[in-house]
Amino acid sequence: MKYLVMECHLSYAVVLDEEGRFLKAANRQYRVGQTVTEIIEMEAPPPAKNGKRWIYSLTALAACLMVMVTAVFQVAQAPFASVYMSINPEVRIDVNRRDVVVGLEGVNSDGQDLTQGYDFRKKDLDLVMDELVDRAIDMGYLYDGGQISLTLGADDQEWVVTHSETLSAHLSQHLSGKLSATILVNGQTAQSTQVVIPVEPGESDYGMSDYGQAPPVTRPSEEGEDSDYEDREEGDDRPYGDSGYQEDGQTDYGEPEDSGYDEDDFDSDYEKD
Amino acid sequence: MEREHQIIQRVYEAKGDNRKADDLIRDYIPFIRSEASKCIGRVCTEQDDTYSIAMIAFHEAIQGYAKGRGAFLPYAALRIRSRIIDFQRKEARHQGDLSLHEESGEDGQSMLDTLADPRDHFEQTALRDATWQEIQELSAVMAEFGVSFSDVADHSPKQERTLEACGAAIRYAAENRALLEELLRTKKLPLAQLAAGSGAERKTLERHRKYVLAMLLIQTNGYEIIRGHLKRVLNRKGGMAG
Repeated sequence: MKYLVMECHLSYAVVLDEEGRFLKAANRQYRVGQTVTEIIEMEAPPPAKNGKRWIYSLTALAACLMVMVTAVFQVAQAPFASVYMSINPEVRIDVNRRDVVVGLEGVNSDGQDLTQGYDFRKKDLDLVMDELVDRAIDMGYLYDGGQISLTLGADDQEWVVTHSETLSAHLSQHLSGKLSATILVNGQTAQSTQVVIPVEPGESDYGMSDYGQAPPVTRPSEEGEDSDYEDREEGDDRPYGDSGYQEDGQTDYGEPEDSGYDEDDFDSDYEKD
Repeated sequence: MEREHQIIQRVYEAKGDNRKADDLIRDYIPFIRSEASKCIGRVCTEQDDTYSIAMIAFHEAIQGYAKGRGAFLPYAALRIRSRIIDFQRKEARHQGDLSLHEESGEDGQSMLDTLADPRDHFEQTALRDATWQEIQELSAVMAEFGVSFSDVADHSPKQERTLEACGAAIRYAAENRALLEELLRTKKLPLAQLAAGSGAERKTLERHRKYVLAMLLIQTNGYEIIRGHLKRVLNRKGGMAG
């Protein structure tokens, strides 16, 4: 490739190649009009970073902040517990950790009717329940002598326990002066809890049934002296063979032939082939 | 500190002004030569290639410098060293090759001196003078349009496809002399006609307006030597020389 030197500067020269490119190259003592075959082309400067790199940092920070805010918002909006309120209409009320209602759903058709057009957003659980009960009264679902059944469900058993009392009390207070209704509260926790209640025989009414009185349940430890088992003292090396079973294989139950069954008794309608 | 501020100010002024860039480079020639000498391990003279490379590296440093990346002179020194090292590596690949300038005999004559030179030196000098004359005339005409060769080099197409698109427009103008006459008369580039006639995108031509202008001026009368140099452009795809 031949290059025609078009312009010379102190540090570079402008050359024109045969394909029509104007190039800046190292001025190796060139003179305008000279034709050269080898040049050292000027390298394009790297794209200038315009000192606004802080914008990228700021953007990244803003993005992180948005992710955090979204996460916090989602946690706040995530249902923490549910209250099933059943009059005849049955509704499910989902609340977050701060007892703010985040979801409302009619479980049956009456429940859907009750919740239709009702705005629960940003309202506390107490208020939503009050307003739903009022709507139920207005719509004729709840009447004097009626029943409201509340079933609480949550992972946190403490929440269930505390709210069982407070919700019931709150509803009672809200209904006082309007009508009388029975409020039943059932707690449900996600973890199955086994409650062990010790039962004293004398105090229990276990055994009292239509079938008559059951024989008293006794604990072996209490009637040790009347047991067929002998007491064994420490250092007693006697074998357990003295338990009543005889070494010759005979037992107190008598001989096998004395069982009362005769071989003739095996006669049946089925004949041997 | 104050001195560094002054340098940075001069560097930023030199970025868009070739005359100021030359002034800045001229003031820092001792620095440039010193850095080049450190690299090659001996005193660097103006005749050395490394001197030319150091000079262009300093110019690249001016163009590529950004205030937020530290002081200018250390950056320029780094740029000079990198460029010279690159050049030395490139030269090392040709170490096995014989140089025509090496002394071949005891009489101190180089190989070049012993070879018969078929060229006519007088003819060469005359051609160079004629070329120089053409280039000066072209430069003067371009100045009327407010364009220099450095500007054209800055706006010269880099990609092959863009070069071809511009080449098509140039060939179209060379075949339609009326367009060239209109250019000289109105001092305006007929971009719409060029785009329509050549099929090149107008946006591409606008982006390389200064380049297209210089190439069209070359197609006007009086620049036969330069046009002869550009035969590859004009003869491509059935184009014809003006």
